[in-house]
Amino acid sequence: MSHTSSPVPAAERRDLMRTMLLIRAVEKAWGDAYLAEEIGGIPPSLSTGQEAIAAGACAALEAGDFVFTTHRGQAAQVARGLDPRRILAELYCRRTGYNKGKSYHVTDFSRGVIGMGGIVPAQVPVAGGIALAQKMRGTDRASLAFFGDGASNEGAVHEAAALAAMWSLPLILLCENNGYCITQRDTDAIKGQSIAARAAGYGLPGVRVDGTDPEAVLAAIWEAVARARAGDGASFIEARCERLTGHLIHDTQGYRPAGELEAAWARCPIRLYGGRLRDDGVLPASEFDRMQAEVDAEVAAAVDFARAQPWPEPSEAFEDLWA
Amino acid sequence: MFDTRLFRPGGPVKPEERDWPSFRGAINEAMREEMRRDPLVFQMGEDIALASPFGVTTGLAAEFGRERIRDAPCAEVAVVGAAVGAAMGGMRPIVELQFGDFMSVAIDQLTHQAAMLRYLTGGQVKVPLVIRLPCGGGQGAGSQHSQSLYSWFAHVPGIKVALPSTSMDAKALMKAAIRDDNPVLFFEHKQLYRSRWPVADAFRDPEHVGEFGKACVRREGEQITVVATLTMVHHALAVARALAAEGVSVEVVDPLTLVPFDVDTIVASVRKTGRLLVVDEAYQGFGIQAEVIAAVTERAFDALKVAPRRLGNPGVPVPFAPPLEREVLPGQARIEAAIRAMLAH
Repeated sequence: MSHTSSPVPAAERRDLMRTMLLIRAVEKAWGDAYLAEEIGGIPPSLSTGQEAIAAGACAALEAGDFVFTTHRGQAAQVARGLDPRRILAELYCRRTGYNKGKSYHVTDFSRGVIGMGGIVPAQVPVAGGIALAQKMRGTDRASLAFFGDGASNEGAVHEAAALAAMWSLPLILLCENNGYCITQRDTDAIKGQSIAARAAGYGLPGVRVDGTDPEAVLAAIWEAVARARAGDGASFIEARCERLTGHLIHDTQGYRPAGELEAAWARCPIRLYGGRLRDDGVLPASEFDRMQAEVDAEVAAAVDFARAQPWPEPSEAFEDLWA
Repeated sequence: MFDTRLFRPGGPVKPEERDWPSFRGAINEAMREEMRRDPLVFQMGEDIALASPFGVTTGLAAEFGRERIRDAPCAEVAVVGAAVGAAMGGMRPIVELQFGDFMSVAIDQLTHQAAMLRYLTGGQVKVPLVIRLPCGGGQGAGSQHSQSLYSWFAHVPGIKVALPSTSMDAKALMKAAIRDDNPVLFFEHKQLYRSRWPVADAFRDPEHVGEFGKACVRREGEQITVVATLTMVHHALAVARALAAEGVSVEVVDPLTLVPFDVDTIVASVRKTGRLLVVDEAYQGFGIQAEVIAAVTERAFDALKVAPRRLGNPGVPVPFAPPLEREVLPGQARIEAAIRAMLAH
């Protein structure tokens, strides 16, 4: 029996919780693979502490909508329902990964997930372009661009936001403000009231939400999606959260003031939301533990799958350049 | 030889050229036909609807409306990015940058996104877009409005590059570019816009589409091969005609596209003539001229009677002052001198 005033149905709340657990488990597996020297290259960029944002945002989307991810893109991939086995196969650079081993910015075009994390924040103008195509083709579908607080200082974001306002594009600009651009505090670089406050300058509605609360994110994105579907144009949302792991997995965050990271863990979205669902009677501790065990088993199987996959053939280096 | 007056009205059309289509009119006609054929084709660019800067899009907004002929803001990153996304989303965008030099502003969207996304996604997406880049000097437009930057973009993987030099190939290659499923850069020399050229009957056929990767032998000759692009094709031809009176036989080859690049036609020409001169307005260092020479040398070193030579901008910004600009850009005098020097061997 639920004692909550949440407008989100209990089954959907449990789904949000499960998505957040799955995101964290997939990412942990990737990070562990790097730390164990199973994989090399650029160290994994985890979104630990940000899981509620992707979970909430993607719950507001439907088939035909697009999301454009950042270099911390795994959360949205999982939340959009991509197969963790093939996500991990890609992160292990195997040929059966979504991108055939050609990029760790996992893409599944058929599910509307475009990985563009290589250049901060190149995905934002391109997301605007998909929104333009959706509008010109007469659909009511929307395009959502994730980007970070660091990216919010890039000209490409300002240009894309201004163009989205000018052309009334069905675009959702979702800034995940995790407080740090590598070693730089958001408040050191952003001298306005907030990132969302910049939206007024673009001529867009801007809101700031608690990015540790998937339901708050869901509500904000749901409103933005409704706006986009109605032909009323773009929206700008800043979701504030904590970056609980380093910029990349090898980053031990020694530059953060003493005690800050420990305090940030008090805002871990999984702890907070798990506690809330328990208190609301939606997900008792025993069911939470069972859900966690299921997720862990699924990810362990996905890791086994990824490890067993073949490398790409060398000749495949020359495929997929030209259409 | 060509229009050296930027943004000023041209003189009256010469009577003998009255039935010849202009270069800019040919591009306009290609886009008009393709927009009639395919509702997914649309255009973005600054001022293209109301006051087309070089007249290339004149009249299109009246026929196709402002949704398909979109005046874009002064925001090259957002506009090129929008083209990349729209292309992925099933549209076929054409972007006009007012001056091709402005491609530098949005280079990431072109070289990292448009060019790489198909590869990075393992072939999941297509990015069919055309970016039109007015280029070239000789009009006193200064260093940042006069460059020929195709070597930058032919250098990176994933971008096709077209360099039309007459109305016939401008129309045919523009139609091919619009129908291509890959990103295409279409370089249009500003001096050519008002030039008029005789055309074959196929020019009037809406289904006559050009072919990328096919060079054109503009003039056959026996003693030296001159590879030239854009306006330099016509300067090379003028020199070839003048030297023919002295019994000097010059072959002129126009690559028309750099990516893909038709090295076979050029190699066949050099095997015949034994001499290779490459002429282009582009900066000479590490550029198109060097690439043509390297490609030929790798395949036909044994055929060369004399070391290949190149003419280009020696490596300074294109100056504003006309005497300085003339000194920097190659022209007929330097082409003739180079040919004479190479034939003296």
